[in-house]
Amino acid sequence: MTILQRIKNKVRARSIHVAYVDVGSCNGCDIEVLACLAPRYDIEQYGIFVHNNPREADVLLVIGAYTPGWEEKLAMVWEKIPDPKAAVAIGNCPISGCLFNRRESFVDPPVKKHIPIAAEVPGCPPRPTEILQAILSVRDSVFANWEEEHP
Amino acid sequence: MKRTVDVNIPLGPIHPCFKEPVRLKCEAKGERIVGVEVELGYMKKGIERIMKGRPWQEVMFLAERVCGICSVIHNMVFIEAMEQISGISVPPRAAYLRVIANELDRMQSHLLANFSYCYTIEHETLGMYLLDLREQVMDELEHLTGARVTCAYIIPGGVRCDIPRPDAELLQTSLDRIERDLRRYSGMFADGPMIALRSRGVGILTQEAAQQAHAVGPTARASGIAADCRLNHPTYRQLGFVPVSRKDHDNYARVMVRFDEVVQSIGLIRKCLQDLPKGVIRGGGVCKAGETRYSGEAPRGELTYFIKSDEYGRIVDIQIQTPSIMNIEACCHEMILGADSIADVTSTFVSADPCVACTER
Amino acid sequence: MGQSLIWYLKEFARIEWIKKFLFAKTAPLVTPSYFRGFPEPTGKICQNALFCMMVCPAPGAIEVVHDEDGWIPRIHKGHCIRCGFCVEACPNGILKSGRILETKEREGTSLLFSFRIAIDLELCTGCGNCCTACPVNKVIDAQMGAGGHSSNDEVIMRVQEGDIVVIHEDKCTGCKTCEVSCPTGAIRIARILEGYQQPVQEESQ
Repeated sequence: MTILQRIKNKVRARSIHVAYVDVGSCNGCDIEVLACLAPRYDIEQYGIFVHNNPREADVLLVIGAYTPGWEEKLAMVWEKIPDPKAAVAIGNCPISGCLFNRRESFVDPPVKKHIPIAAEVPGCPPRPTEILQAILSVRDSVFANWEEEHP
Repeated sequence: MKRTVDVNIPLGPIHPCFKEPVRLKCEAKGERIVGVEVELGYMKKGIERIMKGRPWQEVMFLAERVCGICSVIHNMVFIEAMEQISGISVPPRAAYLRVIANELDRMQSHLLANFSYCYTIEHETLGMYLLDLREQVMDELEHLTGARVTCAYIIPGGVRCDIPRPDAELLQTSLDRIERDLRRYSGMFADGPMIALRSRGVGILTQEAAQQAHAVGPTARASGIAADCRLNHPTYRQLGFVPVSRKDHDNYARVMVRFDEVVQSIGLIRKCLQDLPKGVIRGGGVCKAGETRYSGEAPRGELTYFIKSDEYGRIVDIQIQTPSIMNIEACCHEMILGADSIADVTSTFVSADPCVACTER
Repeated sequence: MGQSLIWYLKEFARIEWIKKFLFAKTAPLVTPSYFRGFPEPTGKICQNALFCMMVCPAPGAIEVVHDEDGWIPRIHKGHCIRCGFCVEACPNGILKSGRILETKEREGTSLLFSFRIAIDLELCTGCGNCCTACPVNKVIDAQMGAGGHSSNDEVIMRVQEGDIVVIHEDKCTGCKTCEVSCPTGAIRIARILEGYQQPVQEESQ
């Protein structure tokens, strides 16, 4: 491992910019992501910054069951994120469609079909601590040694 | 009509200030906004279609997931509509517990809305204070119902679990703490000179315009219309509920109305805990056939369910009217027009507390 | 402006603030014991009553399966919405989640249910999928063939002369398996649920 890679690993682990995109959820997971900002959970002590700007993001939090309004648009958002990047599915909706995945509904889950998902957080909605742990787990598995693994 | 428009500025669907995807197409002349068009349709899931043909124990959860922020009131209005259809009476203790859960939910929703406003006008300190306060309210809600967001607390004929006396005393002491902090924070908002520069006189919605656009909830009450569906609710009438209203018509008034309502909710919960009747919390009762229209006051305004059920209590037809659609309409066509800068568009839009998830369902 | 400066100074001179500034400590993040998490087995033996599957509002969240040790309810994470209805509906207390089980015992609350099987004979093709899929039928008559024919009179329903006949409606547990397996949507189970509580003694309140 080169010194440069080591420095990059160290810096990346302490500075994660997060963008979230709501592709048709009930808002329950949105407010749990917002609750992570609260001083109680204090997401910024881990160096995670919720930015909500895809062009500056490292991690994309996908919330919701993929409604037809997001056809192509979610992939566009995903393309705009610079490498290395990871997407985390928050809640049941992007994993299975939750209660909305029935006959007659408009949703098209799982989100895995449309963009690659690195980690999943089950729960409807998950607790803020669970969301935090998922983002931190992605940090180690995706961002470490990225340049060496993708020459 | 031909208009001179300098720039078309699209805001959203992914925007740092908006929690939910919605696109505002602003027509600007210089920095002044001359027209706003709202584009919805990013969240349409078809919940009403899924609800048809299902019994209450499934529709109840779907109703909660119409809006995750104000889930208790959706649960409550749906279940009370089913009770009205089937003639189920609620034990008095359960009715009071419902009010407690509903008011806790209203508190957290209003605090979140005020946090979003403070965050949008870049007053992050006050925003974080409010978010921390909201966590304390969420703790109380979790202690009462067992879940933070989608509580599933209210069922036909009662509620799911009781509040034992030690828990009620804990709730009392936490309410005292929350009220002390809240008064400090609302004072900070009320007297802050920098906040006033961004809020006072921005996003004016006059009483006539509010009436014409059928604005509901805190948005209407900040424009001097003292309308509140809680006035028609029997339990709230027992508690002697009087709606708050202000006559400032601007962003400042809308946020302050929410602060006032949180204080009022604390008073209502205290009163509930004080005269909490003894007895059972579930009275039983089977859902039957019929149709009805039932309204309740969500944190954002009037929420109406129209329900038709069959002989086994399954939903045949359901229509939901949520408050946000009127407020978004009033916001885009009245409040934002004439805003002096693009920065005021987001803050005005957030001050109306739009909930896109329940608008589109 | 001067007023505002005094206000800020006053804000920072509070003892509470200074205490917080000097001795701030992030509280450890613990999940409270009363949080309604994913249902977990208590270790009691499952009697295959299937009421958990009946009451579950989420599609594909719970399923009672048979392994070496007997019947066991399996929760699928990613589908389960943690509503806790399965814990409340189970007559034997096999699952636990948060404090639902203890409040249920303390307050004497329960859910009462009854079921009606309604078959639309216009849509029914008599394929017998529902009869073979039914987990109660499977226990009563293990030899039931693919066509849903059975010589056993104890089954819930069976196919007789190309038509489906419901024999024992009272044995139905409302698990919805037949609804899922029906190719035409002809069979519908009405699940009538009722929240019930035994009247409590006054001194316990």
